[in-house]
Amino acid sequence: MDILSLLRAFDEAAGQPTFSLVDINVDTIVFTLINTGIIVLIYFFFLHKPVCKILDQRAAAVNKDMDDAEKARKEAEAAKDEYEQRLLQSKDEAGKILADATKRAQQRSDEIVSQANAEAAALKQRAEESIERDKKRAVNEIKDEIADMVILAASKVAEKEISAEDNERIIAGELERIGKEN
Amino acid sequence: MQELCTQVTNAAEFTVKGPLQSLKFSIGGLDIVISESIVVQWIVIGILAVVFFILGRNLKLRATSRRQMAAEYIVGFFRGMVNDTMGVKYKKYTVYIGALFCMSLVSSLMGLLGLRAPTSDLSVVATWGAITFILTQRNKIKTGGIKGFFKGFVEPMPFMLPFNIIGEIANPVSQSLRHFANILAGSVVGGLIYFALGQVAGGLASIGVPAILSLYFDLFSSFIQAYIFCTLTMAYVSMAECD
Repeated sequence: MDILSLLRAFDEAAGQPTFSLVDINVDTIVFTLINTGIIVLIYFFFLHKPVCKILDQRAAAVNKDMDDAEKARKEAEAAKDEYEQRLLQSKDEAGKILADATKRAQQRSDEIVSQANAEAAALKQRAEESIERDKKRAVNEIKDEIADMVILAASKVAEKEISAEDNERIIAGELERIGKEN
Repeated sequence: MQELCTQVTNAAEFTVKGPLQSLKFSIGGLDIVISESIVVQWIVIGILAVVFFILGRNLKLRATSRRQMAAEYIVGFFRGMVNDTMGVKYKKYTVYIGALFCMSLVSSLMGLLGLRAPTSDLSVVATWGAITFILTQRNKIKTGGIKGFFKGFVEPMPFMLPFNIIGEIANPVSQSLRHFANILAGSVVGGLIYFALGQVAGGLASIGVPAILSLYFDLFSSFIQAYIFCTLTMAYVSMAECD
């Protein structure tokens, strides 16, 4: 027996009246209405309202987070595209620069080679010209000398009575001497 | 349970009495009798106020505490119940259904504390049935207008009028009687078993054995009856829609 049962036993011993088991009592109905209303208010203000508020706030926060994430994803994608484009561009540029440099180097080397060729040709020509000139001069000198020798030999021949054989010998000997000298 | 039954120890007799008339007073010549059911309802109000207040305060955006999860579960449960049974357009009924469920459940569970469950008093449950009836008729008028409300009684044929009226009244009556009778019968059966086991083995048998039955008659039945009552209320109100 708990204490409430004891109390009830006491009440009943005191002859406290009871309602009948199946009964509709107006007072009870009125008070139940009031109590139900109180519980509705308690439920609404203590539990339903704060919880709904927090749930709505959370839904809003989640929505915002999702929107932010979507935005960030789009931004990242845009940045990625931009970088890729830039990379392609820079690759193109690098290729262009390389091609340019190669072309210029080729040009330069061609220039150098052709210049060198031209110079060599000019040098060769000049050398040939100088050789030719020297040769001519030498031939002329030789010719002059030969003429001198011939005149000298002729004068010697004329000094003496010389036979044709002597003439020939003398001339041959002179020519040989000249040839040796030269 | 035991408190329902008055044992006359010598002549093994078992009687079931109605709720006590706990308080009597009169205001302006109006005699008011406060039933035991009302006193226990005040206790229920106190319990629910404390529980709801503890559950519903200091809620954070991120639910980390079990307390907050429980609060969100309870509110979400009633929200889901109303949305599933009545549809989203009736979502303002969530508060009433939630409060009704909690009140019915805790009232029935009062039997576990040795108090007389207010739900075993027909007056209490009939009040809720009357609320259901009023909500139902109100929804009829709201959706169909006065004309639609009266037209609903002569459909599909005029001679159905008496049957329709009986049907309208029978719904809340049967709903109330079901809830009241289940809880009262649980108490009576529990009391009978207590009484019967008290007669044998010098009362030692009444230790332990009734606890198992109490699981069904008090815990399970309390939940089921609260759930059924709320579901029926929702069904009656949403079905009353005139199209």
